[in-house]
Amino acid sequence: MIEKLNKTFCALPGVGSKTAQRFVYHLLERDREGGFELAKALVDAMEHVKHCSSCRTLSEKNICNICANDVRDSSQLCIVETPTDIHAIEQSGVYKGKYFVLSGYLSPIDGIGAAELGLDELEQKLRNLKVEEIILATNATVEGEVTAHYISNMAKQFDVQITRIAHGIPIGGELEYADINTIAHALSGRKNYD
Amino acid sequence: MTKVDLTPAFLIHRRAFKESSLLLDFFTLEYGKIRLVGRGLRKSKTNIQMFQCLNISFSGKGELKTLSNWEVDDTPRIIKGEALILSMYVNELISRLLFDQDPHFKLFEIYKQFIVQITNMNQQAGYWLLRLFENNLLSELGYALDLSHDINGNDINKNNRYEYQHQLGFLHADTGKISGKLINQMLIEDIENMPDAQQLKVCRDLNRQRLNPLLGNKPLKSRSLFFTK
Ligand SMILES: [Zn+2]
Repeated sequence: MIEKLNKTFCALPGVGSKTAQRFVYHLLERDREGGFELAKALVDAMEHVKHCSSCRTLSEKNICNICANDVRDSSQLCIVETPTDIHAIEQSGVYKGKYFVLSGYLSPIDGIGAAELGLDELEQKLRNLKVEEIILATNATVEGEVTAHYISNMAKQFDVQITRIAHGIPIGGELEYADINTIAHALSGRKNYD
Repeated sequence: MTKVDLTPAFLIHRRAFKESSLLLDFFTLEYGKIRLVGRGLRKSKTNIQMFQCLNISFSGKGELKTLSNWEVDDTPRIIKGEALILSMYVNELISRLLFDQDPHFKLFEIYKQFIVQITNMNQQAGYWLLRLFENNLLSELGYALDLSHDINGNDINKNNRYEYQHQLGFLHADTGKISGKLINQMLIEDIENMPDAQQLKVCRDLNRQRLNPLLGNKPLKSRSLFFTK
């Protein structure tokens, strides 16, 4: 049993066998109550957290808090690769629209295509809802760019503005320390200065 | 124990591996296609990217070796839109059709050229460049097509029509879809003088017919994803 628990902890990101051992002994020797709470919280989450039926992010309700929030601007739809990207954008506090989560990126070699990313759902959304702008916030990687391109091609049939988040020099960063690809992107995506 | 120091390579595919690492497929000059583990690379800030020529070092004992170092040996390149899609398709071809650690020096140079040329091409020219790449790939794999003669040993005449007989070559036939001119353009790899839209389609179908048996019953995913229209 101890061995099994150890292995289970090891499967978590950032947890090696030493740390796992510390968790196990801590719970067994000093905090049985906490252990029970952890077990219950885990069972609850595993049983009840699913994907929001509107934006596909993780949610314990059928419709997540952001989708259910009428104050948020549903004419803007920000498309991200993962639920953690939503978290990152939310922390910035500058975006008031809604989201759509792909749970990955297009990867033909791995067999991940449009269906796996829920792009037919996205197409339905664009067809049926009054979305005025989609913001392609996939990663600044080749795969993220391919995915953005594919979605923009699909979205062209609708009367919707298609934008892509800017890529460039990090705030507080100095030009001489940026890598050449970042500089190339920053230059090609330059804007009028006002 | 293998230890390779700074060999030219292109990254053709990557996927997450365990918590913080990546599984990386490279097309290298000296070792052909090879899969390496990039330890800790998922967390690193400037990440390794496709479509730029790199120098990579790797080492290890078993089947799966580890990337120990890499540097970019190329000018920055931004491939966008349709050109990006064609480049992804080429990567899938390489990934599917090359055997592991089987070097193809000539193909490596052709791939490098393809990446440079596709970056600034319009859509039509991009497709032509792709067809020429497929042709070179097939030749490298041992499926070269005689583009100078027909099945009966006669010179290809650019005013004649031909049909393709699988694995044999071109047969002179007045009802054939393939123009002698197209075969000629394929031979001299004429990028400037590309075929018209109709012959470009004929060329696509010809290459599909040649590639499909090699792909077996698992069709290319990027074909169904990107080229359905
Ligand atoms: Zn939602």
